[in-house]
Amino acid sequence: MPTEPGIAVEGVRRAFGPVHAVRDVTFTAPPGAVTGLIGPNGAGKTTLLLLLASLLQPDGGSIRILGHDPVRDTAAVRSLIGWMPDTLGSWATLSCRASLTTSGRMYGMPKPAAAARAAELLDLVGLTEFTGRPTRVLSRGQKQKLSLARALVHRPRVLLLDEPASGLDPAARVELRVLLRGLAADGCTILVSSHDLAELEEVTDDAVFMAAGETVATDRVQRAQSRVREWRIRSLDEAALDTALAGRAGVRPERGDRLVPVDGERAAADLLAELVRSGVPVTGFGPAVGELETTFLELERSGA
Amino acid sequence: MTTVAAPRRRFNGLGTIVALELAQRVRSTAWYVLLGVFALLMLGMTALLLPISGIADGGGYAFSTIVFFVLLLGTLITPALSGGAVNGDREAGTLATTQVTLVRTGALLLGKVLAAWVSSLALVVLALPFLAVAVIAGGLRVDTVLVSVLVVAVELGVVAAIGVGLSALITRTVFSVVVTYLIVAALSIGTLLAFVLGGLAVRTDQVTRYRSLQDGATSTASKTPVCGAWEQDHQPVPRFDKVWWLLSANPYVVLADAVPASFSRDGVPKDLFGGLASSARLAQIAPKPLVVYDDCSADNSSGPTPAQVMARTVPSWFVGLGLHLLLAAAILLGAWRALLTPARKLPRGSRVA
Repeated sequence: MPTEPGIAVEGVRRAFGPVHAVRDVTFTAPPGAVTGLIGPNGAGKTTLLLLLASLLQPDGGSIRILGHDPVRDTAAVRSLIGWMPDTLGSWATLSCRASLTTSGRMYGMPKPAAAARAAELLDLVGLTEFTGRPTRVLSRGQKQKLSLARALVHRPRVLLLDEPASGLDPAARVELRVLLRGLAADGCTILVSSHDLAELEEVTDDAVFMAAGETVATDRVQRAQSRVREWRIRSLDEAALDTALAGRAGVRPERGDRLVPVDGERAAADLLAELVRSGVPVTGFGPAVGELETTFLELERSGA
Repeated sequence: MTTVAAPRRRFNGLGTIVALELAQRVRSTAWYVLLGVFALLMLGMTALLLPISGIADGGGYAFSTIVFFVLLLGTLITPALSGGAVNGDREAGTLATTQVTLVRTGALLLGKVLAAWVSSLALVVLALPFLAVAVIAGGLRVDTVLVSVLVVAVELGVVAAIGVGLSALITRTVFSVVVTYLIVAALSIGTLLAFVLGGLAVRTDQVTRYRSLQDGATSTASKTPVCGAWEQDHQPVPRFDKVWWLLSANPYVVLADAVPASFSRDGVPKDLFGGLASSARLAQIAPKPLVVYDDCSADNSSGPTPAQVMARTVPSWFVGLGLHLLLAAAILLGAWRALLTPARKLPRGSRVA
């Protein structure tokens, strides 16, 4: 069986009156991978996720969720997708257990199965101690976890996560990353929107860039990626490092480190080898900012 | 690849929505306070009513007064219970997460209506012991008890449906609750005002002839009374018979008119239902173009008794109740269309999520 894309979007657009929130979006997200959806505020990420989550009808273009059209085949799509919105809603007076059980029941799960699944999910996201507490006592980060658990309640095959990591502490971020990687390993298609690029970098296999309601064409992304970016170099001996770097353009110091513009990964490897050969005691060598961030900023800069 | 959990045939989630809504309500303290205040009012009222009306005329007046009171409080409380059902969820961010499940739009809406209705019926249930006291006081027919409670229940259902429907059509919770109150007010007070003003606006001339009895000392010999000359006058009178149908949309008139009327032997109503129904029905009778007041004649008939009015006029409660149900259904239909997902249009100034 050829692997069908978890999400296949082609030429999708959606306007709200005069505002064209999504103009022209085309991308695919394969199963078994985490795909990042990256774009500045107002790029149309949330609207796109609403279109994918079968809550909005597109004005044009086509959306397929594992081959199903959200408009024509809504029920099938809904049993396939798990959607975690950027606004954190919860039934304030219900306990965490009751909330998740109710969500399970909304997918037609029998009561015992829904209750068992609720307990399982509370354990998975680390909210076991809040099982019987009303959801209104949860902190923002805990609500975030509950919202993720809710999205997973019916074991969806396609996950749509809108800013899942915002509000999470570092430990919870790591847990989320492990969780998402695990789901992807099980064959889930996962689309994560975020503007926390460092976070996305850690977890995504691929990225879709969005700007002004459009997905950025792959060649433009590649061009942005191949541009010169800064690498951060740290050494025990700053003077030796400076000597070795003498003659390179654009080197600037920052907190004892040196930021050096390097054109691509190959050039970076060569530079490191050269530094080591010249006996510079290098303790740190890496991109100053993440690849996604560089691409994002470069696209912003070169954008319309 | 694991198989997708196939949705059960005809799953719609109605039961889950009702259970969810009720579970949220029974956890709210405000709800118990409201019920407590209501019970206290009932207690006070029954205690005052029974000594006044209970023993002499049987429980009819006490019973009907309590039922009207339940209708009044029920229509005042139900908008608050239902008016934020959908837009409140939208504000809390729990609407979209429900819409994205397999729960059908119709079930979502209907579940909320049922839950709001059930919670307003709690008022009726709470009133039952007090009604029972009035029933024990005696003189009540079984059909009076059943029909009156049933009509109140249906009217509360209508208000619940209107409230839930408007909460889906209007973005802001405050506005949808206020509009629900306005509709209740329009039906309860508005129809009455329209009736009075309408009747006054349409006036026709009525001729009055009057003859007095001359009882002077001069004609004591005569056995036949000496009558004065006929005097004639005319004046415009309101034509309530042209606008009586306006009252049929009034929930209190619907309640009174629907209950089988019981009258005493001299045609006097035995409860407030009969009293209000016969007063409302009196409006159906057109004023006579000529009214004769003859003090000189022995035949001095007064107007028809309430029982006679009821016999001479037509019932209208089913028209009013039908209208209420139609209004509720129309609003719910609009709400259902507004809530359908994937959505074509969005309510102004709102986000789906």
